[in-house]
Amino acid sequence: MRILVIEDQAKTAAYLRKGLAEAGFVTDVADNGIDGLRLAGGAGYDLVVLDVMLPGRDGWSVIEDLRRSDCRTPVLVLTARDAVEDRVRGLELGADDYLVKPFAFSELLARVRSLLRRGPAPLVEVLQIADLEIDLRRHRAMRTGRRLDLTPKEFALLSLLARRAGDVLSRTVIAEQVWDMNFDSDTNVVDVAIRRLRRKVDDPFVLKLIHTVRGIGYVLEIRS
Amino acid sequence: MTRDLLSPRSWSIAGRLTVLYTALVFVMLVLAMLFLFWSLKSNLEKEDHESLGDEIAVLRLILKEPRGSRISLAQEVQWEQTTGRSGNFYKRVLGAGGRVLMQTVHMGMLLPPGVFPQPPASPDSAPSHRYLFAGHGRVYLLMSARAQVGRGPRVVGLQAALDVSREEAFIANYRDRLLMVLVSGIVLSAAAGYAVARRGLRPLDRITGTVEHITASRLHARMEPARWPRELRALARAFNDMLDRLGDSFARLAQFSADLAHELRTPVNNLMGEAEVALGRARTAEEYRQVLESGLEEYARLARTIDSLLFLARADNAEMHLRRSRFDARRELDAVIEYHDAVAQEQGVELDCQGQATLDADPVLFRRAVSNLLSNALQYTPRGGRVEARLSDLGRTVVVSVRDSGCGIEARHLPHLFQRFYRADPARSNHPDGTGLGLAIVKSIMALHGGEVRIESEPGRGTLVSLDFPSSA
Repeated sequence: MRILVIEDQAKTAAYLRKGLAEAGFVTDVADNGIDGLRLAGGAGYDLVVLDVMLPGRDGWSVIEDLRRSDCRTPVLVLTARDAVEDRVRGLELGADDYLVKPFAFSELLARVRSLLRRGPAPLVEVLQIADLEIDLRRHRAMRTGRRLDLTPKEFALLSLLARRAGDVLSRTVIAEQVWDMNFDSDTNVVDVAIRRLRRKVDDPFVLKLIHTVRGIGYVLEIRS
Repeated sequence: MTRDLLSPRSWSIAGRLTVLYTALVFVMLVLAMLFLFWSLKSNLEKEDHESLGDEIAVLRLILKEPRGSRISLAQEVQWEQTTGRSGNFYKRVLGAGGRVLMQTVHMGMLLPPGVFPQPPASPDSAPSHRYLFAGHGRVYLLMSARAQVGRGPRVVGLQAALDVSREEAFIANYRDRLLMVLVSGIVLSAAAGYAVARRGLRPLDRITGTVEHITASRLHARMEPARWPRELRALARAFNDMLDRLGDSFARLAQFSADLAHELRTPVNNLMGEAEVALGRARTAEEYRQVLESGLEEYARLARTIDSLLFLARADNAEMHLRRSRFDARRELDAVIEYHDAVAQEQGVELDCQGQATLDADPVLFRRAVSNLLSNALQYTPRGGRVEARLSDLGRTVVVSVRDSGCGIEARHLPHLFQRFYRADPARSNHPDGTGLGLAIVKSIMALHGGEVRIESEPGRGTLVSLDFPSSA
């Protein structure tokens, strides 16, 4: 998978390239809109990460030209302003998703992955990770064959982590997906909820599945 | 530009007043003069008509007398007569076929019979009349009539004229004077009106002078309403109020900048210190990792602070568009309570909800406001306590209240709680997730909805925060 990053700030470009490369993507960087447009126009990229504030020609005109030349490569827009008008404008011009700076890299990665995952995810009824078994249809979770006694929200939280196993999910994403609270707040609700979930899912067992990635969020994966 | 000048809106007030005064004076003078002129002229004409009519009546009387008195007729007709006031009378008696029987001397030359109007048919009718403008400024009033001679059937024509040239000249002179008075009256009233308007508007210049001296650093300047004319006192007072508000805003802005600098300095200081110490000597990968992780937590907090500040700034500038809808407030409230449920259970605090209401508001902002209140309430309520959210529909407002049985807040802090970065309890300011902006955001959300937030508290007993949403927008 090849990703083109159009970003003029050297530091941002460098960490995006590094992070994306380590996540397994081949990444190129253009530091201005003109080069970016030329590179993106040529085939070969599966995704463009585009900063709106560019010197010379701004990101909006890059998307516009890209879409006019009938290039359908998905575009993820990075913007420093989360004014609604800006978002709407970006999406109208043909951007596929947007992120507001400052953003967590894990969040960028999650959105990149979901943009690249074309079409709906295959419908799974039962998730199996190590000895954890989640029956999504019947809302049941089991470990080593023993049924876990979870509240509906705890089940939603566990199945979110399991569906995105291996991805680090930020507190913001978790709050949004599980409780539909799509705003940042000062609470430690997610941490507490994860602590309680761990007590039921991990504490009684030797193999721990839910891990804290300090400063970023939580991930469900098998660690040796 | 030209259109601006032509449109009355762009004229100076003094100019407008002057034009209005002058127009008013013009109309009044013209009406008064028309009346004076008309009454003088009609009085004079009436007198002329009467005296000429009298002459004709005298001739008629003489003609009715028996023949013996013919001499007096000749006397009456032929001698030119000068009246006291006006010019001369001229008289003429016409026989059958228009033959001149008798006439005043010189009359044949001055006023031949043809210039007179046709007399009425009957000898009893009032005479017909007309004015004759004879050139050289001479004007005559002419009258024609018929008269019965004796008691018999014979009828003669009578013509009489009055030289009214002097009266006409007098009237024309009077008219000219009136016009002069009119013109000078207009010029005088325009000049006086302009002077009066300028003088009346002088306080505005003084206000301008005062205003020009006000800058951000000299906001303390005030106008004394008592010194201004009554019409301008309201303006002076409103202006003072505006200065008060501006001064208040500037003070708060300055305070806010100071607080913001302080809020940012602490985490940046931590980050720099940690990084410097870490780089001071070689360390294990695990140690570096810990430094980075600790840094990340600080960054996340900084990012949240910035987000919240942006939210507040946009809300203050009313840049934010509410996405209003009508929704079941209880359902939204339950969702927020469910979100905080884990924390409540963990802390051993009972979290409860009561009441029903439908609300017209932005659902996302509603959740955010209530969530901030619940998170505060839970934070300050000890184990075994109780946090209760309640919805009540009071008709004109829907009140969402959150009551806790926590430690309470001292009264002196209450007015400041909604200020950015204000913390009642400095010891708690190190709450790891707090940005000190939660209540400020609640206040902004309520302001966006045209509502209000109230807080009551009793130390040791607990706190009650109420959000008043107006029922209909």
